[in-house]
Amino acid sequence: MSEVVRAVGLVKGYGEGARRVEVLRGLDLVVARGEMLAVVGPSGVGKSTLLHLLGLLDRPEAGELHLFGRAVATLSAGERARWRNEKIGFVFQFHALLPEFSLEENVAMPRLIAGESHRQALGAARQLLASLGLAERCRHFPDELSGGEQQRGAVARALVGGPELLLADEPTGNLDAAAAEALFDLLRAIHLSRGLSSVIVTHNEALAGRCDRVLRLGRAA
Amino acid sequence: MRATGLIAGRYLLGLKRRTHVAAVSAISFLAMALGAAALTLTLALLEGFQSTIRTELRESGVHARLRPRRGGALPGGPWLAELRQRHPELEVRVVTTATVWAVSENGAVPAALELDDAAAGVEINRVLAARLVLGAGSRVTVASPRTSLTPLGPLPVRRTLTVTEVTSSRPTDERAVIRMRPAAGAALVGDGAVQFAELRARDSRRAWEVASSVQGEVPEGVEVVSFQALNRPLLAALQLERAMIGLGVALVIVVAALNLLCNLALLAAEKRADVAILSALGLEPRAIFRLFLLLGLGIGALGGVVGTGVGGALATLLDRTRLLPLPRGVFLLSHVPFRVTAGAVAVVIAISVTAALFASLAPARAAARRDVLEGLRYE
Repeated sequence: MSEVVRAVGLVKGYGEGARRVEVLRGLDLVVARGEMLAVVGPSGVGKSTLLHLLGLLDRPEAGELHLFGRAVATLSAGERARWRNEKIGFVFQFHALLPEFSLEENVAMPRLIAGESHRQALGAARQLLASLGLAERCRHFPDELSGGEQQRGAVARALVGGPELLLADEPTGNLDAAAAEALFDLLRAIHLSRGLSSVIVTHNEALAGRCDRVLRLGRAA
Repeated sequence: MRATGLIAGRYLLGLKRRTHVAAVSAISFLAMALGAAALTLTLALLEGFQSTIRTELRESGVHARLRPRRGGALPGGPWLAELRQRHPELEVRVVTTATVWAVSENGAVPAALELDDAAAGVEINRVLAARLVLGAGSRVTVASPRTSLTPLGPLPVRRTLTVTEVTSSRPTDERAVIRMRPAAGAALVGDGAVQFAELRARDSRRAWEVASSVQGEVPEGVEVVSFQALNRPLLAALQLERAMIGLGVALVIVVAALNLLCNLALLAAEKRADVAILSALGLEPRAIFRLFLLLGLGIGALGGVVGTGVGGALATLLDRTRLLPLPRGVFLLSHVPFRVTAGAVAVVIAISVTAALFASLAPARAAARRDVLEGLRYE
């Protein structure tokens, strides 16, 4: 199977009647295995909405979406949750680390949710954090980390379950230029080393240009 | 389950990073603990008083009564003597009772006349002594419903007697009683007299078993009335009292559970971003439901258990130290008694856990159904 994502005629809008805003109008999209796709476009064109649909956090109103060769409409709520846990890694714009948990616990969370033992999950999290240069920060809480460290921690959390598809929603949007560059380098390196398929939403044209392909969404997408 | 347990535990124990959540949870915990402690103390107090009454009933009362099914006299024959022989652990007393009037210079009251071989002279109980202001050595006239023909026409048979002893009454007994030997009072007993045998176990703790132990050994015309049946109205009233007061005080736990419900709803709102993130990481809705159920039970049930422990310890301490005195002469006891039973502890814990469970259901369901994207936007 060479396609990880196949979307045909995706429609998604918000609100009803006169106040309805349709952000995706019949979007077609294919993401090949191993491809790194950048999604760019002005605010409000549905970049995050597309990512939420691909991440099984939302459902399209019309159209077909296939992930890993299977129509997602046929998935039960439990299967959608399991796929989010096992097959998809999500990096949010604002790190979205849980404030009551240390960095290593945050990173271990997907494995704990999968039912792995506390010890094993923390071991895997520490190993991954060490590979991302955060070994010294394992026991720190999110509010004790810099923005770049928080975002690297979020990347580690997205990767710890060994996903096939990495979704990143403006991962560098909250960072200065140097930190953004460093994080993107990291994402690119991980993408290549792990053979991931990645969809990265960004406003940064320069970073988008370093991806395999760029999808530009406009008002009429 | 590992993740929900870890998250619930962290929210409950690692709350120093979110002080208002900690305060809200602590208030719910305290409310449940106070409710449970109040109910435990109340049940211990009721059990203390009621067990005293039950003990008094056992110590001073009859444990079983044998009475004729028809007529006023027990069937003849050797069966009573055989019963005494077979059951040396029982005291068997045959009593004939009739209603008479007791008259003194202070008035006249109806009284029960009991003819009993074991009576020592003319005994009156405290109730009669109080009503007619009598004591040992006082003279009392007993008027029977039986009449004798006199030149003035039929008149009640009367005897004026000297009281030899004033005996104690059971705390629940309000009857005026005169006891004497059958030979002394036979003339006073009319057609309405009833004969029965009273049984008492020498070991009063066996009071509840006496009736069943003699059930098959009495003639057909004799009915065995058990200790429970003899005291049914009082025992039922005690049970009803305990149930009603217990229910009333249990409302404190219900109010505490409502407080828990509000606080869990606040907690669920506060944690909506966390829940959305966890959901995005793959936590299933039912696991989110379980998480808030665990939180509610963690706060509510733990509060209930701790409150029960504190209430039980306080009740035991108050009972042992006799810290709450009672006015002498009014009560049988010198202090307020408390008795903590395993049953009462189990009931309080069960009520606390059930209330916490019901209080957690709605917030847990709401958290599990909340839209993930809404939570992520909130974040």
